[in-house]
Amino acid sequence: MESSSILDSLGVEIIGVMAPVSICMFLVVLLTYSLSVTSDPQIRTAANLIYVENPSDSATVKLEGSLENAIVFVVLVAAVTFVLVLLFYYNFTNFLKHYMRFSAFFVLGTMGGAIFLSIIQHFSIPVDSITCFVLLFNFTVLGTLSVFSEGMPIVVRQCYMVVMGIVVAAWFTKLPEWTTWFILVALALYDLVAVLAPGGPLKLLVELASTRDEELPAMVYEARPTVSSHRGRNGGGGSSLRVLVGGGVSDSGSVELQAVGNHDATHNLDYNAVAVMDIDSVDGGGRSPLAGNPREGHSASPVSSEHSRELASIGNRESVAEEEMSPLVELMGWGDNREEEPRGLEESDNFDRGIKLGLGDFIFYSVLVGRAAMYDLMTVYACYLAIISGLGCTLILLSVYNKALPALPISIMLGVVFYFLTRLLMEPFVVGMTTNLMMF
Amino acid sequence: MTVAAGIGYALLALGPSLSLFVSVISRKPFLILTLLSSTLVWLVSLIVLSGLWRPFLPLKANVVWPYALLVLSSVCFQEALRFLFWKLYMRLEDVLDSFADRISRPRLFLTDKLQIALAGGLGHGVAHAVFFCLSLLTPAFGPATFYVDRFSKVPFFLISAIIALAFVTIHTFSMVIAFEGYAKGNKVDQVIVPVIHLSAGMLTLVNFASEGCVIGVPLLYLVASLTLLHCGKMVWQRLIESRNQSGPTLR
Repeated sequence: MESSSILDSLGVEIIGVMAPVSICMFLVVLLTYSLSVTSDPQIRTAANLIYVENPSDSATVKLEGSLENAIVFVVLVAAVTFVLVLLFYYNFTNFLKHYMRFSAFFVLGTMGGAIFLSIIQHFSIPVDSITCFVLLFNFTVLGTLSVFSEGMPIVVRQCYMVVMGIVVAAWFTKLPEWTTWFILVALALYDLVAVLAPGGPLKLLVELASTRDEELPAMVYEARPTVSSHRGRNGGGGSSLRVLVGGGVSDSGSVELQAVGNHDATHNLDYNAVAVMDIDSVDGGGRSPLAGNPREGHSASPVSSEHSRELASIGNRESVAEEEMSPLVELMGWGDNREEEPRGLEESDNFDRGIKLGLGDFIFYSVLVGRAAMYDLMTVYACYLAIISGLGCTLILLSVYNKALPALPISIMLGVVFYFLTRLLMEPFVVGMTTNLMMF
Repeated sequence: MTVAAGIGYALLALGPSLSLFVSVISRKPFLILTLLSSTLVWLVSLIVLSGLWRPFLPLKANVVWPYALLVLSSVCFQEALRFLFWKLYMRLEDVLDSFADRISRPRLFLTDKLQIALAGGLGHGVAHAVFFCLSLLTPAFGPATFYVDRFSKVPFFLISAIIALAFVTIHTFSMVIAFEGYAKGNKVDQVIVPVIHLSAGMLTLVNFASEGCVIGVPLLYLVASLTLLHCGKMVWQRLIESRNQSGPTLR
């Protein structure tokens, strides 16, 4: 009798992105606490090239040293990104994909393996080395396979993205304190410049990808919404957010969501829901019952109110209709680690495919929260809230501006500000009150 | 004392809110967003307050009136912020209603509005519990425990968790009362919320006296149950009212 309220599905796509970010941060905090990872000043890494921080140095020495470290790190990241743009420009896409698989293997195997070993040591779990090796090997191989292959269930890929984010972030928290903060701020600024400034490498990359109608070979977390029960209605998804925020076009009422192929529901959840507007222009063979990953044919090009059909690589065909609304923005976050593994971009499009968030954004949010965890739980919660609200703001801007936006700056700036405010102002206030058992 | 005790204290303070979250709020993503934003508002208010009071800290531990002033100013500030939060919510309601019209779906129901208010209140309550109780629980996961001078019968963590539970209840349900009061222009409801908050804050001052918690905490729970009862009565009346209103139009 009662028709469903709009409150049922509003905001699904935002939660679809915030939930894995929260899980990643929570697990990194747990890891930091349980393993009591202290910053070991003896590690020499790309982040430590110039100045190795020593807790006994004076404040000015630390300041200068950390600033130099941060600048060098950002320069390295920028250089690698330019190399990436060049490779992509000259169509070395396969090489990039293989390299990314290799780096996923390496990250999960060595860095993940080191974390597993320290967990086993810390909790005295009785497991022998051969079993451990076999398990680790299986885990790593599955992760590598899930990075770019088409047949994997989306849940596996999402889990592995989160795991990789956790592993790299846990490694990053080993860096010394001042260096970490400076690197975070420097990367946030770099992200802002690289995505929005006209000569920025990430902007070039996005434009290249969109002019070629190709997908970027990058590690992104895709928060695909499952095929909702709102068949034939304009249920959640990106379009509702845009209509809500931007006062969108009335086309949204005419979109019908359909899963690709009239296939069994068990498999369809893995594939994108495709918006179909003109039934008569469907290709003669109809939609094939087995859709290869439709993402392969995804177009990031702006605009066009006409039909576009794309051929997936295994010869399946799907018709894709584009509404008059231009596809939604791409948000890019970039970052790097020792392996120089590029992060990806965040984009959302009007096919209700959900929002994509780059892996590096996961990593650096978790690094910030992990570093806050080394001080106190209060700072953790404050930084978590700051990052989540920054992410929310970025997503709203995404739906308003319809172009690539960096996901790092707002969140990192808010996080850093809240960390220092909490540490300096709130802590004496709250602790002073609660130890006297007074609250409000 | 141990990990088990630490988790126990955390669940004592946040158990009911966790079950409320899982059963009501996690069903609708919009409510999760409301919860997060109200937690953020509470955090910001706390930071502003601590910024204002920072030059005067640390307060002397034996004198009551600075603490009374602290509690009074904090409560007044937070109530003012609650009113602003409600104004923001009214604007949001307009946006949501026009959005609903645009996609030809029904407008916000009464239960929707009540749920949003509940999520907002729960956000305040969870923020209170986390900042005043959970953030100090880290030593509780270790091997020892801690007693305060003013109340030597019960470990500090336990008593702070109990007080936090009372406050979570108060915050959660007074937000519902406040939203309904502001929406209907009901003076009783509008006034009762700051009064409850202030009296709860002042009751914790009773803890200042040695062994004062024996009186303070039960009184606090009395205030919390009064809030619950008033909120329940008010919501029940509103629901009956709205059902009677829409009754004759049911096909």
